Amino acid sequence: MMGRDAQDTIIATRNLSRTYTIGKVQVQALKNVTLDIRRGEFAAIMGKSGSGKSTLLHQLGLLDTPTEGEIMIDGIEISGLSEAARTRFRLEKFGYVFQEYAILPELTALENVYLPAMALGLSQGECTRNGMDALEKVGLTERADHRPREMSGGEQQRVAIARALINKPKILFADEPTANLDSASSKQILELFRGLNRDLGQTILMVTHELEDADIVDQVIWLADGEVVGREG
Amino acid sequence: MTSTTTELKVSAFLAYKFIAKGNRGTSALTILIMALAFVNLMFTTSVFDGMGDATEKQVIDTLYSNIVIEPKDEEIYIENPDSVVKKIINVPGVIGTSAQYVTGATIAYEEQSGAWSIRAVDPADERTVSTVPDMMIEGEYLSRSDTREIIIGKEIAGGHGGSLEHTSLGGVVVGDTVEVAFTNGVRREYRVKGIFDTNFIQSNQLAYVTEKELESVLGIHDMASQILVKTDTKGEEDRFPNQFVELGVHEDIKPWIVYAGIVATLTQSFDALNALTGAIGFFVAGVTIFIVIYVSTVSKRRQMGILRAIGIKESIIVRSYIFQAVFYAVCGCIAGLVIMFAILVPYFIKHPMVFPMGNVTLLIEQKAAITRSAGLIISAAIAGFLPSWRAVRETILDAIWGD
Repeated sequence: MMGRDAQDTIIATRNLSRTYTIGKVQVQALKNVTLDIRRGEFAAIMGKSGSGKSTLLHQLGLLDTPTEGEIMIDGIEISGLSEAARTRFRLEKFGYVFQEYAILPELTALENVYLPAMALGLSQGECTRNGMDALEKVGLTERADHRPREMSGGEQQRVAIARALINKPKILFADEPTANLDSASSKQILELFRGLNRDLGQTILMVTHELEDADIVDQVIWLADGEVVGREG
Repeated sequence: MTSTTTELKVSAFLAYKFIAKGNRGTSALTILIMALAFVNLMFTTSVFDGMGDATEKQVIDTLYSNIVIEPKDEEIYIENPDSVVKKIINVPGVIGTSAQYVTGATIAYEEQSGAWSIRAVDPADERTVSTVPDMMIEGEYLSRSDTREIIIGKEIAGGHGGSLEHTSLGGVVVGDTVEVAFTNGVRREYRVKGIFDTNFIQSNQLAYVTEKELESVLGIHDMASQILVKTDTKGEEDRFPNQFVELGVHEDIKPWIVYAGIVATLTQSFDALNALTGAIGFFVAGVTIFIVIYVSTVSKRRQMGILRAIGIKESIIVRSYIFQAVFYAVCGCIAGLVIMFAILVPYFIKHPMVFPMGNVTLLIEQKAAITRSAGLIISAAIAGFLPSWRAVRETILDAIWGD
């Protein structure tokens, strides 16, 4: 286990590769990636544009299927899961924050947040209670009844984070969550992630291209041309 | 909560939010189109049903009443018809009877002549089974004591804008004298006492004299070619024949529909036309919903990808679109019914369509409304399913970040 305690490892990959076929050309986006992320760790995947950061996140977040290799999430080999099981896995164990705010414009902040809880079968009362708790964690309880168009970009991204937290995920995946935000909002979001990791022990895996983000994470995985070229932390 | 219940709840929640908080103009326009599709489906059906109903009503009111009692096959007349009438007149539901002779004759006026059917009736009894006495457009109806007087339909008289003007007597008016040649060779002259117009081409080709008059022509007494029986409700005629037989009526007893070949022909033709227009209507409605849902799924492609990414099942997403389509269809049906009942039906009552079977208004049968609504809703559900199902087939990455 690459020198790390298996009990503490929540994500482990072995020789992970992903090759895309574009027309007659084959593009190898990931090459034999082997890594471990510990439970409760705040890790960042960094690298230049086109280095394979997002591709790696998509494999680990079960949004895409690797061409080769293994992925173990919380001790479960996920390559054998059916599509339905992968969907259930994402709902129960993962939270996602995308670069774009990615919340539904027709729903209020609270409704956006509790939608995954509703899909998990929680009652309306539980959904509302948990939704408000999640909004409290991101400091947006007073905006619960507002719709996305009534909120700033930073607020919408915090709603997306609250949604990602609603089902108490094992891992929170964030794909360049501050890319569309101004510097003040970006700082707020990163502090929020840091706080969630520190106070709740939330495992977070974040893709970022901002070099200064390296200062607030526990581990940085550097990618170049689809390969892990370095690790810090 | 079971998995299915949870999925239905989330689908309904999303559908409700997409409709309630989405573009209201699009929703209103979609419902309007659905309403027009429903009206299109119902309108032709209602016209055909109205024509069928008008025809049935005319056949019953002006030709055969509800039930016809005829002599057995080997007999020409019913003997002692009064005794038959006495047996059935107190049967619950029977509200009138008219024993009458029916004979063919040639009627001539000046240079014009033609062969028509003449009925000989007791005028008082006839009023209990027929509306012809109330349809006089010139002169008046027969009285029991009338002899050598005749009333004729407008298609016989001519000159009243009938459909068979070329075979009519060319413009007979009340007071004119026509010559009638009966099948037994007797010829008599009759004063035209009245001309009637039932708005029904078949009954407008009848002529009426009194029972007493025709008995003197035929040299018979206390007989009848048929007894017409009026009942209080249409459509329940089948319950009477057995009762009549039990009461000792041994003649042939037939409901009006047996004589109404025109109705059966119309119904068959209308059914075929209804099926054709219905199929086209359902297709058009289905394509409309398909386009609306398709445009919606294209514009929400990324949103659908994100929903799937965060663990919302594809079936929940597809079902939310089916619910939206069904909602539009249900609203369309309700709006369509409002248009039919509040605008079109009153309009056609005020301005009926004129057909050979009479004035036709729209008739909205409950069964037709239910089947058309159900058909429209099913079409919409299929049309909602196809584009959303197609949309969730693509990969999550393509949906969120694809071109």
